[in-house]
Amino acid sequence: MKYTVCKDRLLSYKKQLNHGGHRGKSTTFNVKDSLISLCLSVSVVNEFRFLGLYSLIAAFLFTCGCSDTGKEVPGPVTLVFKHGKIAGDPELFRGLLDRFERENPGIRVKDETLPASTDEQHQFYVINLEGRSSDFDVLSMDVIWVPEFARAGWLRDLSRLWPGEEREEFFPGPVRAVTFEGKAYAVPWYIDAGLLYYRKDLLKKYGRKPPVTWPELVESAKYITQRENDVYGFIWQGKQYEGLVCNVLEYIWSNGGDVLDDGKVVINSPKNIEALRFMRDMIEEYKITPPLVTTAIEEPTRHIFGSGRAVFMRNWPYAWNIFEREGSPVRGKIGVAPLPYFSGGVSASTLGGWQLGVNRYSRRPDAAEKLIKFLTSPESQKTLAMTVGYKPTRKELYLDKELMREQPFMTGLYDIFMKARPRPVSPYYMMMTQVMQPEFSAVISGIKTPEEALASAQKLMGHILEAEE
Amino acid sequence: MTRDNGKAYILPAAALLFFVTIYPIAYVIYLSLHRRLLIFDISRFVGFDNYLFLLKDDRFWNALKNTAYFTASSVSLELIIGISIALLLNGNFRFKGAARAVVLIPWAIPTVVSARMWEWICNADFGILNYLLGVKINWLGSPIWAINVAVLTDVWKTTPFVAILLMAGLQVIPQDLYQAAKIDGAGNWSIFRRITLPLLMPVILVVLIFRTLDAFRVFDAVYVLTGGGPANTTETLSIYAYKVLFQTLQFGYGSTLSVVVFLCTGSISIFYIRLLSRGVK
Repeated sequence: MKYTVCKDRLLSYKKQLNHGGHRGKSTTFNVKDSLISLCLSVSVVNEFRFLGLYSLIAAFLFTCGCSDTGKEVPGPVTLVFKHGKIAGDPELFRGLLDRFERENPGIRVKDETLPASTDEQHQFYVINLEGRSSDFDVLSMDVIWVPEFARAGWLRDLSRLWPGEEREEFFPGPVRAVTFEGKAYAVPWYIDAGLLYYRKDLLKKYGRKPPVTWPELVESAKYITQRENDVYGFIWQGKQYEGLVCNVLEYIWSNGGDVLDDGKVVINSPKNIEALRFMRDMIEEYKITPPLVTTAIEEPTRHIFGSGRAVFMRNWPYAWNIFEREGSPVRGKIGVAPLPYFSGGVSASTLGGWQLGVNRYSRRPDAAEKLIKFLTSPESQKTLAMTVGYKPTRKELYLDKELMREQPFMTGLYDIFMKARPRPVSPYYMMMTQVMQPEFSAVISGIKTPEEALASAQKLMGHILEAEE
Repeated sequence: MTRDNGKAYILPAAALLFFVTIYPIAYVIYLSLHRRLLIFDISRFVGFDNYLFLLKDDRFWNALKNTAYFTASSVSLELIIGISIALLLNGNFRFKGAARAVVLIPWAIPTVVSARMWEWICNADFGILNYLLGVKINWLGSPIWAINVAVLTDVWKTTPFVAILLMAGLQVIPQDLYQAAKIDGAGNWSIFRRITLPLLMPVILVVLIFRTLDAFRVFDAVYVLTGGGPANTTETLSIYAYKVLFQTLQFGYGSTLSVVVFLCTGSISIFYIRLLSRGVK
């Protein structure tokens, strides 16, 4: 075997060394000696020789992974803007950043894209911000991350940049989502909210109006599916993932219930139980929703509705443009409406969208703040709305004549966006959603009753929030 | 010249081993005794509170149950199918080499790729499985079927590994034993039971150790296939530990889960090694 030959050679070399060093020289530490002893020791530990090799490699890689404390780059200021994939043509967004560079000579903006999966983006931010990286200055965050990042101390307080009167110009939902302990840690960039899509042509054929309450929706769906072939009643996203929580909250809120009230967990309530039971009943009892929703996310449901095989769908606004494209089977046959509510409640939509914040470890916070102010300005938001379809967070743009002409669908969503509610605004939201997702999924799949699931969720979420004590 | 006892020369390797194995294990055990939310700078010593919470944690027991079911079914299926394939491939027939190579293909495909592939095969609307069977079952969305589909994916992927190892074991059995048995008039089943199986036992035990430990720690195949499944019905211990540690960043409780997984795999290894050493005697 190779290693025994190596070992013999090394042992003989070691003997030579000892003889050599015997001539009165004190044993000095030199590289050759230590390298040989390292090789020897590795060869001696022969059962774990692969472990030794892998440990060495691991040790090397470990030291390579340590980031170096950056040095100040002389010359023009370069900002790094980290974000997920921008929809549409990247050239259009680059054009916007070029305009910023022209208006602010001396600042250059480098924008870097992160992986498409929001989970991976979250992991990237957590790893890098916990490691106090200064590699990026401005970051784009999902609406549910802001309290968590703020509590962890990774975001710069933007209250000075974005004072109270300015906040009034934005939708209330996003403003609530970016506020933590009274201070604003991010500025809302673009907004998203859940909608009800319906087939105008089918409703007209059977003399029905778009439903305003959930019982009305059930009735219309049942009536139409009994008379039409190969059409589902109502499809939504029910897979065990974040989108499920978005869906369920819309039912809970429209029944007057809630998850967190003033920092306390109130998820186990009769109104919530009712809402969850209704969701399960849609599959099991009224049979207007097919069981396949338990593995469905946005795109599969968009596919089914877009090929004309459903009467109603709950989804985000992005689907509209796809339905209205050339060659779409449902072109011109779709309408949108606010989501229905239970009697005695109000329509509720779950808030989505992305916010811009400044890395607290950024070395150019003032320039970063300028970039955020630019990107969230009315002009930039209007440009983004016209080019890539990002829905603005500023209320005034929804009355802008040009935008109303070019994007009537977008401006028509004003009421829904006004009523969009953020998911529980808490630094512990990521942990809470990990509790809620399986519990809600268990109810929808019929494994647990709503009572059992919500009782369990209450217990687990209470335990999570105890961490603060 | 005095002969040094070599302790100094072992020190570098021992230090490396210590830092790579012993220190992390000790640190994880230390973390499991704390309530540790790294990003919020919360770090409190809570003694055995995490372990007590774990005992009451329904999600942990559910994960343990899923893991046990997954391990038991996949290992037994792999063993049975693996032995059959090994026996078949052991004989001499024309395309022996090609057959053995083809059998290895599922093992060669990366787990993530094959899990994605199976996810599409089992798709309720567009999948081949429903088309071939003529039914409309939501395989990955059904609480009963999802875990069995996960077992099927794993069996499909690792049976070749079992088959190849067992085939190597079969090659070592001397042919004269078979000839002697045939002369004595033994039937095929008796030959299998009395000659093949006992002589294959050491190899079977080695295969069982590998597969049981691997199946117990399964993560990628199930995570890509179902992500934990409808309502955690396919959530294994590794997936639960991953979600707690990396998605919720609860380092205290996540470490507790890791320690429990470590203890379980440790016990399984000790159990098998005892079996192996007793078998050798």
